[in-house]
This record gives sequence, structure tokens and C-alpha cells, in this order.
Amino acid sequence: MIIFENATVTIDGRKSLEQLNWEIESGDCWAIVGPNGSGKALLLESLSNNGKILTGVGKNLAKRIGIVSLHEQERLIVREAERDDSDLTDQIFSGTSVQELLDESSLDLKLQRDLTKSLRLDSLLYKGFRKLSTGESKKVLLAKALLGYPDLLLLEDPLEGFDQNSSAEVTALLEKNSLSTTQIYSVSRIKDIPSWTNNVICLDSHRVIRKFSCNNGEDAKRFLSSITRMGSKQVALPVPPEKRPIRLNNDNSLVNIKNGKVGYLGHTVFEDLDLVINPGSHWQITGPNGSGKTTLLNLITGDHPQSYVNDISIFGYSKGGGETIWDIKRHLGFISNALHWQHRLTASARNVIISGFFDSIGLYAKPSGHHVRIADAWLNLIGMEKQRNARFSELSFGYQRLLLICRAMVKHPSLLLLDEPCRGLDEANRELVLALVSRLCTDGNTTIVYVSHELEDIVPQITNHLDLGDLE
Amino acid sequence: MPNYFNSLSLRDQLAQLGRCEFMDQSEFEDEAGYLKNKQLVIVGCGSQGLNQGLNLRDSGLTVAFALRDSAISERRASWVNATENGFDVGTYNELIPQADLVLNLTPDKQHTSVVREIMPLMKKHSCLSYSHGFNIVEEGMEIREDITVIMVAPKCPGTEVREEYKRGFGVPTLIAVHEENDPLGEGLNIAKAYAAGTGGHRAGVLMSSFVAEVKSDLMGEQTILCGMLQTGSLLCFDKMVQKGVDRGYASKLVQFGWETITEALKHGGITNMMDRLSNPAKIKAYELSEELKTIMRPLYEKHMDDIMTGDFSSGMMEDWAKDDHKLLSWRDETSHTEFETADNTTDEISEQEYFDNGILMVAMVKAGVELAFEVMTASGIKEESAYYESLHETPLIANTIARKKLYEMNRTISDTAEYGCYLFNHACFTLLKDFMEKQDSDVIGRGLGLNDYGTDNQHLISVNSSIRDHSVELIGKKLRGYMGAMKKVL
Ligand SMILES: NC(=O)c1ccc[n+]([C@@H]2O[C@H](COP(=O)([O-])OP(=O)(O)OC[C@H]3O[C@@H](n4cnc5c(N)ncnc54)[C@H](OP(=O)(O)O)[C@@H]3O)[C@@H](O)[C@H]2O)c1
Ligand SMILES: Nc1ncnc2c1ncn2[C@@H]1O[C@H](COP(=O)(O)OP(=O)(O)O)[C@@H](O)[C@H]1O
Ligand SMILES: [Mg+2]
Repeated sequence: MIIFENATVTIDGRKSLEQLNWEIESGDCWAIVGPNGSGKALLLESLSNNGKILTGVGKNLAKRIGIVSLHEQERLIVREAERDDSDLTDQIFSGTSVQELLDESSLDLKLQRDLTKSLRLDSLLYKGFRKLSTGESKKVLLAKALLGYPDLLLLEDPLEGFDQNSSAEVTALLEKNSLSTTQIYSVSRIKDIPSWTNNVICLDSHRVIRKFSCNNGEDAKRFLSSITRMGSKQVALPVPPEKRPIRLNNDNSLVNIKNGKVGYLGHTVFEDLDLVINPGSHWQITGPNGSGKTTLLNLITGDHPQSYVNDISIFGYSKGGGETIWDIKRHLGFISNALHWQHRLTASARNVIISGFFDSIGLYAKPSGHHVRIADAWLNLIGMEKQRNARFSELSFGYQRLLLICRAMVKHPSLLLLDEPCRGLDEANRELVLALVSRLCTDGNTTIVYVSHELEDIVPQITNHLDLGDLE
Repeated sequence: MPNYFNSLSLRDQLAQLGRCEFMDQSEFEDEAGYLKNKQLVIVGCGSQGLNQGLNLRDSGLTVAFALRDSAISERRASWVNATENGFDVGTYNELIPQADLVLNLTPDKQHTSVVREIMPLMKKHSCLSYSHGFNIVEEGMEIREDITVIMVAPKCPGTEVREEYKRGFGVPTLIAVHEENDPLGEGLNIAKAYAAGTGGHRAGVLMSSFVAEVKSDLMGEQTILCGMLQTGSLLCFDKMVQKGVDRGYASKLVQFGWETITEALKHGGITNMMDRLSNPAKIKAYELSEELKTIMRPLYEKHMDDIMTGDFSSGMMEDWAKDDHKLLSWRDETSHTEFETADNTTDEISEQEYFDNGILMVAMVKAGVELAFEVMTASGIKEESAYYESLHETPLIANTIARKKLYEMNRTISDTAEYGCYLFNHACFTLLKDFMEKQDSDVIGRGLGLNDYGTDNQHLISVNSSIRDHSVELIGKKLRGYMGAMKKVL
């Protein structure tokens, strides 16, 4: 169905894959594996005909391609931004609704009904795309892809970001689909290779280093684990330039939310939520997709407008009592998917890390030599010293993520909010990030609030647990 | 009400026109502190109202929204916006009497009626602010003697005011105190704190006057910003079609061309925009722009004169009194132009191609920016004001045309800009008839297509220095420098 012969493919005219030889038979299920920055996303883009063949042969006989990837999600986000004319028209832009997005793919009402039911999208049909939570929006992408009756389905880390139930539902859906469709998975972690995989392609540094077939996914995982070495990580953190004293509330807490409530016209996300975060006691927040994990973190940062109508004490301020948002951010480190999308910057890798000292998106102040040295130490730590001057927007998603994690940690903040930090990271980098988090926990100045669906991504020091699913 | 500017002595007119200074960062060390614990009430929750309000609140200030009764009872967009964002919302009667600072962010055309309604409710020694001074300067609105009157005008659309703030930055902002209304001498302190509350101080604040802001704003919007781009769009499109260029291609080249070429303008001024052309194309564009400047100068001067005498505003206000009769018929005319109704080709046009095949458009931008700047500064307006109201804002309007073509661009810009744009367009379209007759598709649509791109060094040097040494380039370099590194974000 697809043939590449000695092909050089470029995406955006810049990034490229070289000497690509690959033949995909119709009905196959392939897994693309490789570390962050190896070119997995580029390969997926090439398969969806978004690339340009510079030399060699590239033939793709697929008639209908379905794709679920970060690139695809980004395309939709950018399209929504283009459609948003509220700056011109003074009209509220409620966004393209889920129903409209599904209709774009197919008007087959029966299939639409089946998919919205099995992915539990019913209550979201009239919501604008930008309002969806991470998991919700990924489900919409998947439904959209499946609605187009694809003969080729391209999936990037399809289970990442889903809660346990959703994961099971999606797995069942994909397994059924694999009987009739050629599927190609790009996976950041070997454990996510689906059990019905029969071929694997391994990438490194934008080249194919190995291809093999296997009886099933378990076979492939065993083999790949045997050839990858994982050492346990010992990390030392670069120290911040200045120690900022921790500011506490009257009750000696960092954050105290009483009767927390967030809702939109006719829909309550959560209510009666009480949360006290004391210094040194670290929290994990879990809950099904859409239960309000991200919303809760945004209440704490003050990025959510309804933080002003809640009873929140933070760092000794009573929210809305005259503090500025920067007074709060000074003591915070933060990473989330939304923050990642906001970073569509040409700033350099190093400057993105330095921006963490200023709590800005992009850098608007001249950094001191000291800032630069600290940023370089972080770049060393994540193995990106060579990319220090690379433009953020041209780096792969995983590298961008690592930089944003450093940005969040660089000042050793009093409170570090990590909302699904490991999205898109390979095993080695996840381990590194978890080691960094663990290290910050033990250093004593930073308290951590951590949101993750991945059962494996555990930080031993995090002992408090809030499950938003329990609130309902 | 008499025109305020015309009531001033020549001496005062010149003094106020000539006010515009870039303020030092050290003036903003107290940030929004002067307004801490004061009650701010914003009237109108539109593009500026909502976004300024969000920023001011995030800067630690107390903000509520006063909306007209119908907006509340009909739960209009303004009410939904204010409420969902967690603001207190109330009627004028409920909120205005408590306000220390009332921010009038309703459409300019409504200012007289809105201000008449809220003024009696305002408490003694409170402050009234505007984001544009038309009501005070052109309509001559007189405000109670005990009330302080200031202006804080972000030089960007509301959504950008918000986005830049969230990034930790701001947009350039102009502030002013109305000399007739500064009873306690605190106008400047309030204006500075308000500007800092919106984040403006991070990108640069210009201290100006109501008069300078209004006169330069009117001049910029009707000539280079909206007028020139409108006339240019129509003329360039028609010329291409006449010369056999594909309609879809012509439409796309014009619609997105302004945005692409003025993106270069935004980053590095006219110099950089011209540098994007090959040497022969640059020389061609330069010659065309010189010719255009000679032809159009009297028209630019007429617009400036009519703005200064107040003839422009009184003509427009007559039309307001006739329910926008002229404006609406001109708007309708725009919707039926060949350019507006053409469909774009789906073919890609590369970024560089917009320059190579749009030499005449580059020349029009250069001529328009320089003329507006020259005419404004010759009339006593400071270079800083003239820069912001010409070169700085051109990319914003170009972006609107890229998104919406002309009809929607006109509908969404301010009433004053739209009216002025049509006046300019009618005159300019005719004025450039002979000039356009002489042009061919090499300067618009197809590119020079030369085999030999060789250039005479001496000639190129003299053209380059003429471009670079223009005063709009010198002041632009300085002001852009203040704004720090230009960032390209979405
Ligand atoms: N847009 C810009 O780029 C920009 C830049 C700098 C300065 N400014 C200035 O900012 C001011 C506001 O402009 P804008 O663009 O934000 O306006 P806008 O988006 O049109 O919003 C105006 C708001 O005022 C309300 N309103 C309309 N008519 C009213 C009336 N008769 N009485 C009371 N409220 C009324 C509207 O809400 P309801 O209809 O629901 O009541 C609307 O929410 C103007 O002075 C403008 O010159 C604008
Ligand atoms: N502006 C909005 N209007 C309506 N619903 C919203 C809006 N923003 C978020 N939501 C909804 O709030 C819920 C919680 O979202 P979120 O906190 O992102 O969930 P998660 O727990 O997956 O992080 C989701 O169902 C989302 O669709
Ligand atoms: Mg979330």
C-alpha cells in the first residue's frame, strides 16, 4: 500500500528523513519506535502526505487517511485561532463545535452515534473545540479520524492522556478497527505498542535503524526491551540564582481553597472542593478526563478567571485582595498542555529556559550572565546543550516539552504545578523528569502538585492524593 | 458643542499638537499602585473593555462593569463576557456612583450620549477616562469641573492587549491628561497607573495630549491605513485583470499581499520592506513611490487640513445625524467591487512571491507611510505620534484585509476610520487614473522577469540612502528598539 525507496522526505522544507526504505502492506499494523527527536512525528507526517519527496520514490496508495497526532491537534488549534474574529467583530467566538467537527468527516449518522457513544462524547457535542480538556479533544480527533472510513490510520501515542476507562474503550475500538484497516502507530514508550502489532520500525537521528516483524506486540516489547538499556538516574539540580523566601498563609499553608467551585452556563465542573497544600507535602491529582484537574491548577495559578470568585488563599494573599498575578507567579513553576500550545515561539531553547525566571512566555528582558550559565547547566542535564540556540518552534515536541519542564523548575519555585508533564516523552526522558521531580521534592524548598494518568510514572515522595472523580 | 481644538489659541493648538514623548521606565516603578484600593468601573464590555478589564484585575485592581440596561436584560454578548469572567456587573445607577475611575470603553459614536448619562452619577473628584479622544476634541464634550479626564489608548486591538499581557509583556500605549480637567493635579498619576495595569509600560508609554492623539489618529486611519490600502487593492486588482492575470491569483495576491509585505515593515521599517525586493525591483518600487508621492501629496494635505479645521468631523457628524446615509451607501459600493467579489485561487503563493509580484503594492505602502508621516509632522504633530499612527498600525489593517477583504475591514474598523477611508478612496481612485494607465503587469502580478538582475552601484547606493535616511525610518528604529526584540508568535 505504501512504498518508500531511497527516499529523502522533508516537512516544512526544513526537517527531513533520509534514505527511507519502507514497504507497508495493506492490513499490516506497524509500530514506529525511537527516542525523542528521532523523527517519529516526521515519519507520521510523511505517511499522511504532508511531506515532500526530494529524492527517491514515495508512493502512498491509501485513499482515505485518518490521523490522530499532536500535529493534527495543532492544526485544529491554529484553524480555530484563524476562525476567531472576536477581535474584529466584538462577537463571542464559541468555537467550532464537536458536532461540526464530526460532520466535517462524515455525515453518517449511525457511525457518528456509535462513536460518540463508545467514546462518551454525547455531552460534549455542542462545546467548542478549544474548551475541551486534553483527553476530550483527543477523543474528538480519534472519532473524526474513524468517521472518515480510513484505509490507513495513523496514530501517535493513542492512549496517552486518557483515563483508565477511556484507555480501555479506545483500545477495544482500535483493535476492532485493525481487522479492516492498515494501522501505523508512533509510540514514545515501548509499553504502548498494541498487542496486535505485526511489524516494528525503529528510528534514530532521522534514519531507520531497524525493521522487523513479530507475532504480536508482546513479542516486540520483549525484543525491544532486551536491546535498550536503562540506567537509573542520579541527578543534581543546578541551583537558582537567588533564594526566594516561601510565603505562607496565616494557617501556614501555601494554598488553601475553600468550597472551590467552577462552572459554565448550565454545567458545573466541580463544587465543594476543599484543598489545603502545606509546604513539603506533595500532591498527586487524578480523575477522569474532564473532571477538572487542569481547571483546578488554573485556579491556583490565577489563569482561570473564576479564581476571582472563589475563596482562595495563596502565598499569604487572599485572591482578589490586591495582589497581582505576577506576585503569585513569582513563587510558581508551571507546565501544562495549554502552556505548551501558547509557546509558539521563535525564541531559542536557552531563552525559553531563562524565561522561567521572569514568568513570561518568551523573553522580554536581557538575561544576566548568571541566568545564561544556569540555563546552560539545565541544557546539559537534559542533553540538549548542542541545541541551545535552536528555535523552540523548530524542535520536536518531546524536546520542547523537556525545555518547558526546565523552565518550570529553573527557579526552584515554592510550588511546582505539573499537569501531565511527561506527555510525548520517551522512557529515558520520563525517567529523567521523574528523577528531577523527586530531587526537587527532597530538596525541601519546593512543594509539588502532580497530575498524571500514567500508573508507572510514580514519584515516591508524593504521598497525598486528590481524586476529582470521587467528588461527584 | 463647539469643536475643542478650534476653541484654543494658535499657541495652545501648537503646544498640544506637539506633545508626545517616550516615557522613561523609571516613571512606572510603582506600577498600578496609585489605583490600588480604588474602585474602577468600566462602561461597555467590548473588545477593549473586556480585555483591559482582565488585565487591570490581574494587576491587582478592583474592576466592575457597568452596562446599559438592555445589555443586561437581553443577556447580550457584553453581559455574558463580563459575567463568565467573574466580574461584578451592574447598571449605571448601581455602579457609577461608587466609582473612583470610570473607564468609558463604548464605541466612539455613542460617547456623547453615554457620557451625558453617566456624568451626573459620577462622584465628586472622580476620574473619567477614554481610550480615544474624539468625543473631547472633535465633539467638544465638556466634563464637570471637579472630574479629572484622562486618556489611556493601547495602540492595538483588545485581544492583543490581553494576549501580550498574559505573556508577561504589553502593547505600546499612549496616555494624556485633558488640560481643562485636572482639578487635583493627579491626572498623570492615574493615567500612568492605568497604563501599567494594562501592561502597557512594558512595551513603552508615550505621553501625549488629547489633541495630538485625535488629529494624528484621524489622519493615519483615513490616509495610509485604510484609505491607501483600499484604493491600492481596487487599483491593483483591476490592473491585473486588465492585463490578463488570472482573477483568482490577482485576488489572492492583493488580499494577502498587504499583510505579507507589511510584516516586513513591522520588523524593520520601510528599509527592510524594500530590502525584500531584488535590486532592480527595489529601484523600480522606489521610482514608483516617488511618482505616487508627487501625485498624492495634495490629497494627503487636504485630508490633514480638513482634520485640523474640523471640517472632516462636522461633515461626518452630519452624516451620523442622517443615520449614516452616505456611509452605508459607500459601504454597499465596496461590497460590489470586482476585487471584493472575486474568489481566490487555491494555488500557493510563496512569501517571497508576494514581494516579487507586488512591486506596486510595496511602492504604495512606502509612499503612503512616508506621505502621512511627512504631512503630519509638517502640521506640528510630533514624529513619535506620526510614526505610531502611520507605519506602526499599517500591519494591523493589512491583517484585517487578509482575513476579511475590504467590506468587512471597513465594517469592523471604527466609524471615523470607515467614513474617512471612503472619502480618501473616492478622491484617490480618480487621482491615480493616469498613473495606473501607464503601469503593466511587471510591477503588479507577474514580476519583472528579468534575465539580468545587474544594478548600477552608485544608483543603488543613492536609492538605499534615500530610503534609510527618511525621518520615519530614524524615529522608527528608535521606537522599535524600545520595544525590545520583535517576537513572531501565532
Ligand atoms: N478596537 C481597537 O482596536 C481600539 C484600540 C484603541 C482604542 N479603542 C477605543 O476603545 C473604545 C471602545 O472601543 P471597542 O472597539 O472596544 O468597542 P466595541 O468592541 O464596539 O465595544 C463597545 C461596547 O460598548 C457597548 N455599547 C455599545 N453601544 C452602547 C451604548 N449606546 N451605550 C452603552 N454601551 C454601549 C457594547 O455592548 P452592548 O451593545 O451589549 O451594550 C460593547 O460591548 C473606543 O473609544 C475606541 O476608539 C479601540
Ligand atoms: N470555557 C469553557 N466552557 C465550558 N466548558 C469548559 C470550558 N473550559 C473547560 N470546560 C470543561 O471543563 C471540564 C474540565 O476540564 P479540564 O479541567 O481541562 O479537565 P481535566 O480533568 O481532563 O484536566 C471539561 O469537561 C471541559 O470541557
Ligand atoms: Mg487536563
